[in-house]
Amino acid sequence: MAKIYTFLKYLFVILWACFVIAPFLWAISTSFKDFNSVTSGATYIPWLQFEPTLDGWSVLFKPGSQGGINIVGPYFNSIFVTLTASIISIALGTLAAYALSRYTFKAGIVQNNDITFFFISQRIMPPVVLSIPFFLFLSTLGLLDSLAGLIMVYIVLLMPIAVWIMVDFFNRVPKEIDETALIDGCNPFQAFFKVVLPNSIPGMIVAGLFCIIFGWIDFFFAFILTFTNVQLLPVKIVALNSSITPWWSLSAAALVSVAPLIIVAFVVERYLSKGNLSGALK
Amino acid sequence: MNFKHKYVFLLPGLIVLIGILIFPVIFTVRLSLSGWNSFNPELDFVGIKNYIRLFTEDPRFWQSFFRLSFLAVTTVFLQYVIGFALAHMVWKDIKFKRFFRVLFLIPMMTTPVIMTVIWRTFFHESLGPLNDFLGLFGLQPQWLSSPGLAKVSIIVVEVWQWTSFMFLLMLAGLLSLPKEPFLAAAIDGASPFKKFIYVTFPLMAPISIGAIIIRLIEASKIMDTVFVLTSGGPGTSTETSSFYIFIKGLREFQMGYAATMSFTYLIIMIISLTIIAKVLTKVLMRE
Amino acid sequence: MKLKTLVSTLVSVFLIGSQVAYADKWSDQFPHIAGTGDVPGMCSYEETSKKDYSGRTLTINTHAIPVMGEPTALHAEQFEKLTGAKVEVTHTPAGDLYSKAMVPFQAGQAPYDIVFGFSNFINEWKRYLAPVPQKYVDQMDGVSASHMAIASWDGVMYQYPVDGDRHYLKYRKDVIDNPEMQAKYKADTGKELRVPQTWKEYGEMAAYFNGWDWDGDGEPEYGSAEVMKKDDLMYAAFYSRSAAYSKNPSTPGGFFFDLDTMEPLINNPGFVEALGDWVEAVKYVPPGGINFGLGDEIASFGGGQTLFSFSWDDAFVAAMQDDSPIKDQVGAAQLPGADHVWNRETNSWDEGFNQAPYFVWGWAVGVAEKSKNQDMAFDYLCFFANGANHQADIGIGRFGVNPFMEEDFKADVWTAIGWDKGVAEEYVKTLADMEDSKNRVFPLRVPGTFQFNSALATGAAKALAGQLSPQEALDEVATEWKAILERVGADNVREAYAVGVKMEDNQL
Repeated sequence: MAKIYTFLKYLFVILWACFVIAPFLWAISTSFKDFNSVTSGATYIPWLQFEPTLDGWSVLFKPGSQGGINIVGPYFNSIFVTLTASIISIALGTLAAYALSRYTFKAGIVQNNDITFFFISQRIMPPVVLSIPFFLFLSTLGLLDSLAGLIMVYIVLLMPIAVWIMVDFFNRVPKEIDETALIDGCNPFQAFFKVVLPNSIPGMIVAGLFCIIFGWIDFFFAFILTFTNVQLLPVKIVALNSSITPWWSLSAAALVSVAPLIIVAFVVERYLSKGNLSGALK
Repeated sequence: MNFKHKYVFLLPGLIVLIGILIFPVIFTVRLSLSGWNSFNPELDFVGIKNYIRLFTEDPRFWQSFFRLSFLAVTTVFLQYVIGFALAHMVWKDIKFKRFFRVLFLIPMMTTPVIMTVIWRTFFHESLGPLNDFLGLFGLQPQWLSSPGLAKVSIIVVEVWQWTSFMFLLMLAGLLSLPKEPFLAAAIDGASPFKKFIYVTFPLMAPISIGAIIIRLIEASKIMDTVFVLTSGGPGTSTETSSFYIFIKGLREFQMGYAATMSFTYLIIMIISLTIIAKVLTKVLMRE
Repeated sequence: MKLKTLVSTLVSVFLIGSQVAYADKWSDQFPHIAGTGDVPGMCSYEETSKKDYSGRTLTINTHAIPVMGEPTALHAEQFEKLTGAKVEVTHTPAGDLYSKAMVPFQAGQAPYDIVFGFSNFINEWKRYLAPVPQKYVDQMDGVSASHMAIASWDGVMYQYPVDGDRHYLKYRKDVIDNPEMQAKYKADTGKELRVPQTWKEYGEMAAYFNGWDWDGDGEPEYGSAEVMKKDDLMYAAFYSRSAAYSKNPSTPGGFFFDLDTMEPLINNPGFVEALGDWVEAVKYVPPGGINFGLGDEIASFGGGQTLFSFSWDDAFVAAMQDDSPIKDQVGAAQLPGADHVWNRETNSWDEGFNQAPYFVWGWAVGVAEKSKNQDMAFDYLCFFANGANHQADIGIGRFGVNPFMEEDFKADVWTAIGWDKGVAEEYVKTLADMEDSKNRVFPLRVPGTFQFNSALATGAAKALAGQLSPQEALDEVATEWKAILERVGADNVREAYAVGVKMEDNQL
């Protein structure tokens, strides 16, 4: 019985792994093609089925006048904006989540759960309608087309996620830990930073990863709120999306886009395994 | 618990959020009461005319909402089941655990606006690899050009991308489960199956609910996938609310009406999600 | 004797030498114009180099690379070198050009000095654009009349002409002009295989050549590649198909609407029959064809997959690339016509051949009214479209710059870049003849344009998907158009459409 289960387990995992990898393999292969290789039907193996070229890749580093888009600048812009917004979001969000987990708020009929829900409901609104208001808002502050303006908008987008996830994780840290710390003479802040927080590292890592991801992959707000000074990566990449969809350069761009996050994924996985909470009750 | 402390924790985040959001949200509500258009960019006041139009003259919005509900619920359900299963499988003893864990995280890290173009080429009926491969078996499904299969294609892409989200949450949840209940179950001699049903699953209930709610919210905003793969087609068979709002808002520039639709959508979503959360809590958290 | 020879030799050498030296000076620095050298004019390289804009920055939002995007960036670089200005160019996909320009405009801002878009934006964005100063208009005597009209609204030019677009028929010469195929077709169907004169013929030929390998490459080919995906361009494909059935030269006063009553004409039998043709077409497009956007159409026809295509130039240009397997095997012709055209006054069909070229919108560019760099902006645009640049640009297919000046309609431009003479001549003739037609259709350029087009696209898509019959679909569209008229104000639309009707009825 156990053997069948193990077999099925491996089968399922391997099938899903194949499903996950398939588009990436296709993207890798396609990134070395050109127009003719693409239009003559599906091809897979370079040299055997088509002549590989480096066009798809080189175009990511050439300037516009030579038919390319230079993604180096936008790459670093995206990293900066995403990291800054994520860090601030996690900081503020974790604090807020702790409060919502530990304390009771009551303002009329509004309770803890409602406040938590309020945070996450910010993500319900379709971004389209927010384009003009945010545009006006940033332009009044003079922050259009600036890193600071974008970061501000991203904080609004990312903080709710941090709050939502951290509330769940804080709820799993037994309140006894706090109480023990308080009895030991800590004030609530110390209790939080010294005792509870270290035990919520998995949660923070997860929240942090989501913040980074949602910040990195955003296209819409970066598109509406920036012009020539600040260019983020997704906006720059779609600058290739002309009348003929360039399968090859977009594939290369997609791979380049996901690369830094893969590194982050390794880091996350390592911390997840380490930060095993059980047994933290001391 | 001191009065001061709890506010010091909560307020910075809350104030920042409200501070940045307050103007856009109020503006949006005000916008929905105006006739803002591309040739009339004024916040004129037309009362609830937009709302009347939405409720009486626009079946397309409601159809799109219905479609959206179907797509969102299906994808989230699949993502939950598969994500949870995967997390459970790579939780403990399995070879190449770390490799699988990292691999399964990657899909959600791809930028939708770019990745969907790659999916478009993948599903391309004439030039894509999928039909090329299936052609060997004599199958040539019309992935993007038949109403039914177009929905399937969208579901496939969404499941591919966002199962990772569920997977990570579930895995993190599993990794932070206390050991005691499991030790107790082992002492009781429970089978793996019983262990799952009576120990793992209930312990994971709160985080399951949280994950489902947030995925429902995100799944409902599905835009890039629909836009790039099918543009809401064939006909209107894959047109979702957010796509329709996008077209009305940024293509036809009927901003006032788009705000009306968005606000209505927001209210409906809040009500639905509250109900869903309550139902799930009842169902998943019964002991 | 010897002295005369010597003198004349010296004089010739001097003259030639100075000409060559003149051409070399600029084409040395700027290899882009090596073909012609600098062409004299108000905005030639020579003239532009005399301007000094150092310390100033020009911002431009243009289309994605390479169509229009690459020439913009290239000319920006050249402009920088010549004038010392700094030029910042951002690129935006086609569908987002409108929102990228309009969101700031509607918020009262102009972050871009120059905005690119489609020429049918004109009614929506002209109030945010600065009219082209007269001195530039005066030197545009080479621009064809239709394109001057397209760039202007009621006589005032808002969009600087840098490109001209039209829809035309593209076909595979290796089939249509092939005697073997002609014989086979005649034997099987009893009809002539020729460039289709009507949409019905187009459909018959496409259906015949659908689904088998007629060019011997081991893959089946199909009838036609069309833009059927319900995106931003699909409605234009429908108008191309329906123009001949509905644009009746004997009933002026409106093609989309009856100008007097503002009654939508979109569900009249002409349009319905065209939509019926289009629904038929679903049978002879490649797999997935119903979801083809422009990019897919280009990849399909340009890659040799179909017999026909119509719509923009790009597919033809792609097919004529040096490394294309079907280079010199494609031909250009007028869009097919129709055997009868609907007469809305007599409520019946006028029998007889009718044709109506569709001057679909092309790339357009405007200067923001609020821009503080209008002088620089117009100089840039004038430079972009100057003689030397224009000649060089139209020869580079991927640039997307298509002929719109009288002198463009000459085959040598294309034979110079390696096109077969016959193909080039046919191409040029097709474009030129469209300019001469007196029964032309121009895009709808009224307030609410996008709403009208979007409604049409939705209706057509539903018919193509089989959700509704053509009549039902277009009836739905007509109802929606009436609702839009009510929202936008029928009089507003009438006022604007009157300008378009003048163009249709050859009064502008």
